[in-house]
Amino acid sequence: MEKDYKLIMRTAIRAGEVMLKSGAETHRVEETMYYILRTAGTEIVEANVTMTGIIATLSNPDMEPVTVIKRVQKRGTNMNRIMVVNEISRNYCSGKISLEEAYNRLNNICGKQYSVTMYNIATIFVPAGFALLYNGGIKETFASAITGMVLAVIITFGKKIHLKSIILNMVSTFGIAVTAIYLTKFMPNLDQDIVIISGIMPLVPGVAITNAIRDTLEENYISGAARILEAFVTAATVAIGVGIGLAFMSVTGGWLW
Amino acid sequence: MVNIVMGVLGSFIAISAFAALIETPQKYLLHAGFTGAVGGFVYLLSMRCNQDPVFSSFLSALAIAITSHIFARIFKAPVTIFMIAGILPTVPGAGMYRIVYYIITRDSAKCSFYFIQTLEIAGMIALAIFIVDSIFKIHIRKTKKW
Repeated sequence: MEKDYKLIMRTAIRAGEVMLKSGAETHRVEETMYYILRTAGTEIVEANVTMTGIIATLSNPDMEPVTVIKRVQKRGTNMNRIMVVNEISRNYCSGKISLEEAYNRLNNICGKQYSVTMYNIATIFVPAGFALLYNGGIKETFASAITGMVLAVIITFGKKIHLKSIILNMVSTFGIAVTAIYLTKFMPNLDQDIVIISGIMPLVPGVAITNAIRDTLEENYISGAARILEAFVTAATVAIGVGIGLAFMSVTGGWLW
Repeated sequence: MVNIVMGVLGSFIAISAFAALIETPQKYLLHAGFTGAVGGFVYLLSMRCNQDPVFSSFLSALAIAITSHIFARIFKAPVTIFMIAGILPTVPGAGMYRIVYYIITRDSAKCSFYFIQTLEIAGMIALAIFIVDSIFKIHIRKTKKW
């Protein structure tokens, strides 16, 4: 029976695209695409994935090779979608679902599973929890929760006006630093360091560092290097935002409030 | 002792919430939180014993990586789901803040001290993940052969 090479290719590209957009390691994307493409049974199966795009080829001696290039623009982190694609590709490769069904399910993957309110509540809880971890008392935990609220407001607003993530990081950490120092005026003996450190924790490049290491370990050096750069840039923007906030408060703090 | 209990509780809350931020499936939120709590516990315990943040980060990252690999096998989910959220307590946010703080206060000696320490911690996290990933790969290959 003649297999529908083009649909297999489309399915694999779609799976790779969703995974790459959701922040999966490059190695995992390549592997998933390879498993899907291999079900075509062709002689040549290639999948080449970098952080910014996908190239895949299927070829047999008796046919024109099928090659697709897909540029992936926007990347974020979404564990749920990585898991769903993983499940679909596993079910398809083990023959539990048909190719058409796999393709349809991949096209109908939903974006977010939590509401904006949930998201904002989580943004408040992250700094509060970290304040406890960093040996803060009740006062620091409370102050960190307030910086979390400021952070949630800035992020929600920034996303609404489609701010670039680099600028958004700087503005957010600026807000955190200013809020934390402002709070020390109301709460004497408040440990400003703990509040600021807890506040920036949701923004530090933990995801980028982890993925950079795991990509490098798979000897995928292009993606590894790109992600290390990503981690550095994110860390730098966080630091610059805090720095501007600290400088701003030390210059104006005395007379502004 | 109270510090450690509060710290573990704090990292559990923080990591569960962070897991929601990165859209971890609902049923795995608490698992991710548990991974983070293990990391926080090891970090605080080690800090109590030797006061060395670099070595403590290494041990903590090691514990987190092992926990997430075990969880991934028990719950049949990708390792990333637990590891990315779980690793957060060891990420040197404090170091980044101190670097900037001492740049602003013009204390270049302390600034470079924290700069190197932050790089060391990042390297230690890398090393820990690297070691654990490699060990679990050996394990898979051996079991497949037999």
